[in-house]
Amino acid sequence: PPGAGATVSPASEGCPPGDGGSMRCQVSVLYFARSAELAGLRCESLWVPRQVTSLQLWEEIVKVHPRLAVIRDQVVFAVRQEYVLLGDQLLVLQPGDEVAIIPPISGG
Amino acid sequence: MDESQDEPKDFIKLKSEKLSVDEVSELVISPCCGAVSLFIGTTRNNFEGKKVIHLEYEAYTSMAESEIKKICRDVRQKWPSVKHIAVHHRLGVVPVTEASVIIAVSSPHRAESLEAVTYCINTLKASVPIWKKEIYEDEYSWKENKECFWANSEK
Repeated sequence: PPGAGATVSPASEGCPPGDGGSMRCQVSVLYFARSAELAGLRCESLWVPRQVTSLQLWEEIVKVHPRLAVIRDQVVFAVRQEYVLLGDQLLVLQPGDEVAIIPPISGG
Repeated sequence: MDESQDEPKDFIKLKSEKLSVDEVSELVISPCCGAVSLFIGTTRNNFEGKKVIHLEYEAYTSMAESEIKKICRDVRQKWPSVKHIAVHHRLGVVPVTEASVIIAVSSPHRAESLEAVTYCINTLKASVPIWKKEIYEDEYSWKENKECFWANSEK
């Protein structure tokens, strides 16, 4: 049951059983700047593994929005508003967590 | 002004309306401070020979505010005599020559507020999730601060 303005995407198909634990949860994925243009939206709810490396999480999101692949080398995540590089860092996600795609920043 | 209420404060605002240097300066003025230092970031009208029509800013607002709060906390650790800090950043469309960011810091003596303002703008450019799109006549470009450690600066 999504909140206003969010859409629910089905869990990625072809995901092997037991991958990262079979437990998944619904997180809010936020897209900004170029990533919002490539994904075509600003936020949605996605079902993702509760335990997942940041790189695996990126790959899950790219399965839903393949056009994001071109910016893989330039983005980081913000998970619960803390920056996380794409890599081996293990994330433990809770239902409703905010996961933001963060392209290179240009404030100021 | 009630001097007993003059506790150090951080004033952080992200807004779409035009920024005011007077407003931001007045926020940090304090009877115990002999110095107010200011930085104003304005919009240039050109980039690499292309005419800039205007800038558009967007932010991950809640995280931008918390990252700016962290910067304020760091400022107070490094320069304990700093009194008030104000950071106002504009979002949405910013026409050429208008301010996109104003930072003001007050301190008893000028060295601390001057250094703290420099630290604030440099760290903001490295860590606060705000994005700028430059709109030219025929195209646009998402900018990338050189301070951003995950930007692909070698192209």
